[in-house]
Amino acid sequence: MSGRNIGIVFRKELTDTLRDRRTLISSILLPLLLFPLLTVGFAGLAIVLARRATAEAFPVMLTGKEHAPELWRRIARIENFKMVPPSADYVRQINDKTLRAAVEFPPDFEKKLLAGVEEAQIVKVYHFQGELRSVAALRKIEKAVREYQEEIVKQRLDQRGVAQKALTPFEFEKQNVASAEKVGGNIAGFLLPYFIIVLCLTGAMYPAMDLTAGEKERGTLETLLASAASRMELVFGKFLLVLAMSLVTTLLSMISLVLTILLGAGLIRRVSSGFVIALSVKSLAAAFFLILPLAVIFSAVLLAISLFARNYREAQSYVGPLIFVVILPALVSFVPGMELNPRLALVPILNVSLAAKEVFSGNYPWKALGIILGSTSLYAVAALWWAVRQFHREKVLFRT
Amino acid sequence: MIETQQLTKVFRDKKRGEIRAVDGVSFCCQPGQIYGLLGANGAGKTTTLRVLATILQPTSGTASVAGHDIVREPDVVRRKVGFLSTATALYGRLTAWEMVEYFGRLHGMDGNGLRQRMEEIFTTLDMMEFRDRRCDKLSTGMKQKVSIARTLVHDPPVMIFDEPTLGLDVMTARTIVAFIRDCRAQGKTVVFSTHVMVEAEKLCDTIGIIHTGKLLAEGTLAQLRERYRLEDLEDIFVRVVDERS
Repeated sequence: MSGRNIGIVFRKELTDTLRDRRTLISSILLPLLLFPLLTVGFAGLAIVLARRATAEAFPVMLTGKEHAPELWRRIARIENFKMVPPSADYVRQINDKTLRAAVEFPPDFEKKLLAGVEEAQIVKVYHFQGELRSVAALRKIEKAVREYQEEIVKQRLDQRGVAQKALTPFEFEKQNVASAEKVGGNIAGFLLPYFIIVLCLTGAMYPAMDLTAGEKERGTLETLLASAASRMELVFGKFLLVLAMSLVTTLLSMISLVLTILLGAGLIRRVSSGFVIALSVKSLAAAFFLILPLAVIFSAVLLAISLFARNYREAQSYVGPLIFVVILPALVSFVPGMELNPRLALVPILNVSLAAKEVFSGNYPWKALGIILGSTSLYAVAALWWAVRQFHREKVLFRT
Repeated sequence: MIETQQLTKVFRDKKRGEIRAVDGVSFCCQPGQIYGLLGANGAGKTTTLRVLATILQPTSGTASVAGHDIVREPDVVRRKVGFLSTATALYGRLTAWEMVEYFGRLHGMDGNGLRQRMEEIFTTLDMMEFRDRRCDKLSTGMKQKVSIARTLVHDPPVMIFDEPTLGLDVMTARTIVAFIRDCRAQGKTVVFSTHVMVEAEKLCDTIGIIHTGKLLAEGTLAQLRERYRLEDLEDIFVRVVDERS
């Protein structure tokens, strides 16, 4: 096997691939644009929806106005609230979304309240759980009710000569001691492993199909097999190109992600003030290192499977189900409470997903990371061996 | 020189069982000669030539190409062979120059030597005008020329042509036929397969009639005419096949 010939095959495939629009879109353009589009898209949508939700009028129905004139006034004063005359079909109206909420005051509510009657009175608020505008109306009503409640309590305490402080005998203070990386990393740890693993696969997908099934379809495979290069040189040249494309895609997606976080941080904060993403160079580097053997597996398996196909279309139908095989274990990073252990460290894809989650959270369980790197590298060698074998099988090369 | 000894290639198919695509084929072709394998579709011509070009491995038997064994030294054999068939297509996204250069490099050529050789071939085949045009933008005739340049770039002593004119228009086919004659004139060993009788009559020094993987008859056109007492090669071919059926 000559390194020179492997290099020649690699360079030719690189030239060829960089002139292929399909590969350029899936391996270069998509990873670069995915995160900015996702962030700007979702955040923008959330802002628009939130703004629209707060700006529009909220039809609200209050029944028993005569029992609670003060509270009625306070609720009716809430910004954007539009009072609807009381009617018996408020449940239907709420379900039809023509009414956002309805408040029912018990008989003689304020009279009893001011008279100091110690009786449990219930102010009922009817709403549509899960419906954005209804929940927003509920929150505003809740706020007005609480404020009124606090005022009544204060009045009663004053009347009895009890200091306000008696209600809070001591203060309770919570302080975060985790670094920004760990707090933000946890959020990143949920999302990033999945995206990185899937992009590592998609980056390899189109070049792998083009370099094997595509060659068969275009009739160039026989031309190549008749050349002076050995089968091993051809496999390794092609494999290195597919691997390079997979890693380029992963790297570009990581760069795009970092830029999105840096540039889009303000936008994210506008949507949710508590949402922080913090990533260190160390965690990104470690994640990339973990992805390396996985990229080898993806590249080799995709090459072997695509080579089996008679044409590009057939290759797509074989590779399609493979995406699900990868997505499922990659999704594990989304499962709360799923932690890395020595047994899971041996399960391919899933182990990298969990390890990346740890790494993005600022944890470096070196022993588990070592097991993952070792086991994934072993699987990678096996996958590569399989791809080499496929290139030596006439039944695969000349499948009709 | 090409010399095959009891060359056999068996394919195993789940539905059709064992298929003896090439069955004990032995023949010899000297430098400066054209050996033609004449046979119908599915006779075993392509498989024989693919085995000689080391694209396929023989099940049994062997062959020597330019003094090298196809089983023991396939890599060396490929360096000595130029293989051309209608199935050997071009990389559409590479230019004509890049295509030929790629195969030249794979054959161990480099630098000035490769450039000079390519300029010589491109000039001879009148390809300079479209040397930097992508292969998928070329006409059929231009593509055939690029394929010829690809097989010639390493100046191989042995040329293998598998139905090289199949599906080509008359003018392009004539270019290929002229090219095959040139190869003989340059002292190369040429094996070529066809099912077109006129082509075999015009080109071949020796004709081998192949059917169901077996080489049924072999000789010069004159020898075959004398042996079967028939003038027309097509009649001879039908007689040979009928006798064995």
